[in-house]
Amino acid sequence: MPDILARLLDVLVVALHVLIFPGLLFAAVGGLLLAGIDRKVLAHMQRRIGPPIVQPFYDFFKLMGKETIIPAAARPGIYKAAPIIGLVSLSLMMLFFPIFGHSAAFGGTADLIVILYLLTIPAVALIIGGSASGSPFAGVGISREMVVMLGYELPLVMVLLAVAKKVGGSALVFSLQGISDWQLTNGCLLFQWSMIPAALAFLLIIPAEVGTQPFDVAEAETEICEGPLIEYSGAPLAIFKLNTAIKMFVMTALFSVLFLGDINLGQYWLLGGLVLFVISAVLTILCMTFIHAFTARLKIEHLFKFYWTVVAGLALVSLVLVWFGL
Amino acid sequence: MSNFYVHFPVISVMGLFLAAFLVEIFGNKNKHVRYAISLIACLGAAAMTFYLIVPVFFRGEVISYWMGGWKPEGGYAFGIGYEIDGLGLFFGLLTALTFLMSVLFSRRYMERDGHLGHYYTLFLMLAGSVLGLVFTGDVFNLFIMIEIMTFASVALTAFRHGKHPEALEGAFKYLVLGSIGSSLFLLGVALLYLTTHTLNMAQIAALISSKGMQPTTLLAFGTMLAGLAVKSFVVPFHTPAADAYATAPASVSTLFSGMVNKAGIYGIIRLTYILFRTMDKESLMLLLSILGALTMFVGVTMALAQHDFKRLLAFHSISQIGYVLMAVGLGTNLGLYGGLFHAMNHTLFKGLLFLTAGAVYYATGTTNLDKLGGLAKRMPRTTACFLVGAFAISGIPPFNGFASKWIIYQAAYEKANLSGNFIYVIITVTALLVSVMTLASFIKVTGAVFFGQAPATLEKTKEVPFGMQLPMFIMSALCIACGLFYNQTIVYVVNPAVNAVTNPAKYVDTMMGEGYAFANGIGPQPTTFTSVSIWDPVFWLLLFVIVTCAVTLVAVSGARERGPVSLPEKTDSKHATFFGCEESLHSHVGGSDLFWGFKKDLKGYFKVMGNLHSGKTNDYALWVVIGVTLITLFTFVFLS
Repeated sequence: MPDILARLLDVLVVALHVLIFPGLLFAAVGGLLLAGIDRKVLAHMQRRIGPPIVQPFYDFFKLMGKETIIPAAARPGIYKAAPIIGLVSLSLMMLFFPIFGHSAAFGGTADLIVILYLLTIPAVALIIGGSASGSPFAGVGISREMVVMLGYELPLVMVLLAVAKKVGGSALVFSLQGISDWQLTNGCLLFQWSMIPAALAFLLIIPAEVGTQPFDVAEAETEICEGPLIEYSGAPLAIFKLNTAIKMFVMTALFSVLFLGDINLGQYWLLGGLVLFVISAVLTILCMTFIHAFTARLKIEHLFKFYWTVVAGLALVSLVLVWFGL
Repeated sequence: MSNFYVHFPVISVMGLFLAAFLVEIFGNKNKHVRYAISLIACLGAAAMTFYLIVPVFFRGEVISYWMGGWKPEGGYAFGIGYEIDGLGLFFGLLTALTFLMSVLFSRRYMERDGHLGHYYTLFLMLAGSVLGLVFTGDVFNLFIMIEIMTFASVALTAFRHGKHPEALEGAFKYLVLGSIGSSLFLLGVALLYLTTHTLNMAQIAALISSKGMQPTTLLAFGTMLAGLAVKSFVVPFHTPAADAYATAPASVSTLFSGMVNKAGIYGIIRLTYILFRTMDKESLMLLLSILGALTMFVGVTMALAQHDFKRLLAFHSISQIGYVLMAVGLGTNLGLYGGLFHAMNHTLFKGLLFLTAGAVYYATGTTNLDKLGGLAKRMPRTTACFLVGAFAISGIPPFNGFASKWIIYQAAYEKANLSGNFIYVIITVTALLVSVMTLASFIKVTGAVFFGQAPATLEKTKEVPFGMQLPMFIMSALCIACGLFYNQTIVYVVNPAVNAVTNPAKYVDTMMGEGYAFANGIGPQPTTFTSVSIWDPVFWLLLFVIVTCAVTLVAVSGARERGPVSLPEKTDSKHATFFGCEESLHSHVGGSDLFWGFKKDLKGYFKVMGNLHSGKTNDYALWVVIGVTLITLFTFVFLS
């Protein structure tokens, strides 16, 4: 019997990780706060006062309470399930990051590839939800979302391979745990000069993945009325908004794990979470708010070209440098 | 009767051929007799093949069988020998599974066609030839099986030429290019016979090993490799595949992707790893890996531009074969594990996808993506099966495609690390990128066929009968099982095949007598399976439960659906609906093509590809000739 109890306890611990820390709850609170900080800082840059930092929470809860209307042309099941699929895969991502003392909850050997796949799922959920809503604006939006996804995926793959090569040397390391362990002994990857182009490329991938200006072609409020989200209302819309906020947190946290290393504070894991959040906030302001404040939206074909030439070029430089042992 | 099973391989092959003739004699009048003969032959052959798992996989035996008891005399093999090692049985199992599923599917799927006697005759010929191809130990017998396979395939491709005239065109292309491939293989066999004076593969392997590579053997290797590459539709030989897969009945397309191009891959592995043992040459590894990477990239980008469900699947089939060839070509153990595992997964998910395409055709009468839509509501079970297949081929965890692709990425990058060659890094990046493009392409199909609004013509579409659902369910279950229990699958199914590939000495000894391999310089190379851990299935099962709970919660939660709203009939732009999946039939808004931005930036590439895929048999034959010349030249320059 104790065996079964121990096993049950294991399952319970995993469930807690999934639902509370560092999974759903932590990611949601962190993400919404980041979104608030983003809006506040942007407002100050534009000489506005801006909303309070907790405004995204208000928005979220208000939307949750609103009536959900499903268009007649939509497929209700898919339409309602799409945001949930995105939310689940995003909060799963948090479990791969080694931020709470011991190790990542899913610290297998192949986290990087799993993360690569999990990162595409929110975009796919948006595409599927949008196509289930049956609006022409959603149609244009999902077409753009698809091309954006193809755009940033190439540099992302190269960045991850460069990191794996740099850390692994002769033996490849694909696990995030291994990457942060390496940085504990050898210092942050960000301060290896050969990795700086890759870090820059990753910083440019973050806004496209999250979908902030100038890379918000898929949602483009002023042009195609939020594209895939046009027909959404009530709770599903709230969850999609939450997904965008969590994406900010997940992507910036991924950057900090890949290039800054583990925040290992032993038993003070909550403090570790806080430090991670502060780093994420700085990165958010750096790569999303700043760029947002002084750019206008790109055209989709320009965006695609930008990612497959400039950003992929940066990543390639790092990959080649790392390849020659630099 | 301790080892009665040594007769199983030959009985299963002969049984299928015999049934082909019986169908023609007795089955032309009565459909029940016809189907009973076909089903019994397929069931019997599959059961016997599956029984061989016990001796070959579990006990590690290599089964040899000499036709008519003509055993080697005086050190030379005269008779035709069947030899089943782990590799042969691995592909034999894939073959058996494919034709079993396809024959189950055919009963209802083909019921509206005429001349079904011919259909089942050709079907059984095709099944028997591929099974014979993977079981035979005789290189000329291999050629004969390739010929039967090619001609049965050609005839089956043209089977619906009455309803679809383009089927004849597809069959003609396949016939011309397939014949070039077969002739090349025959030339190689003749040259081999010239140098080694034997046709037995085990003995050829031993003699080439002891004599070393001579110019004649090199030429034989080049032509045979090119011939088999034509059979497995590797770029630049892929052109007939698209037409053939698209125009053949879906049950036959399942056979093509599940076993016909696997037969080509089997041949390439047998040729490079065992017959000529050339996989220790870095240059050959580079050639096969580059061919594989090219195949996957060209295949997937062409798939993005397709408007026909089955044609799109055909290009994905080409693309996935690229993965297999690339991984096998790496020449490392991990590459072999990844490649063979992916070959198996490809049989499962691509067979499943072709079956769903067949179900869609059965229910609606078309596979044109522009004319389909909204089938999810009307065919829920087919949709569910399609989604499993689509997730699996896109490599989304926890389906089987993810497990094998992950091993392939790791193998490619490990190879890059070991050899220090930057080309392998590019190949790894290509492999990862192609996976995303596959996902993108399947989102388009999902949107265009199953979601969105149904055109008025499809309002009355019904779910397909249970006889067609059953094989789809079995394939879906296997896709999920192989993904969740990937480690067990690798240990029990893939590992014996890899061991057979890396241990040619046992293959030679079983056929030619103990010690023959060692005398000719082939030593044993036992390998051990280095466990690759990807994830803990228990955690993923738990997550799966959580996801299901969450989705159910939302689905049940009280979102109000509007009652039926009468939309205006006329096409006012205000009410125009389209789903961004296919051409602007539904809307006047620009950019309705799902990959518009992508295609615009790469229009140079797509223009070149469009020009190359001209649809002219002459051009395609020219490509084949150029490809063959290059491969042959390559073998002379880099392998001698």
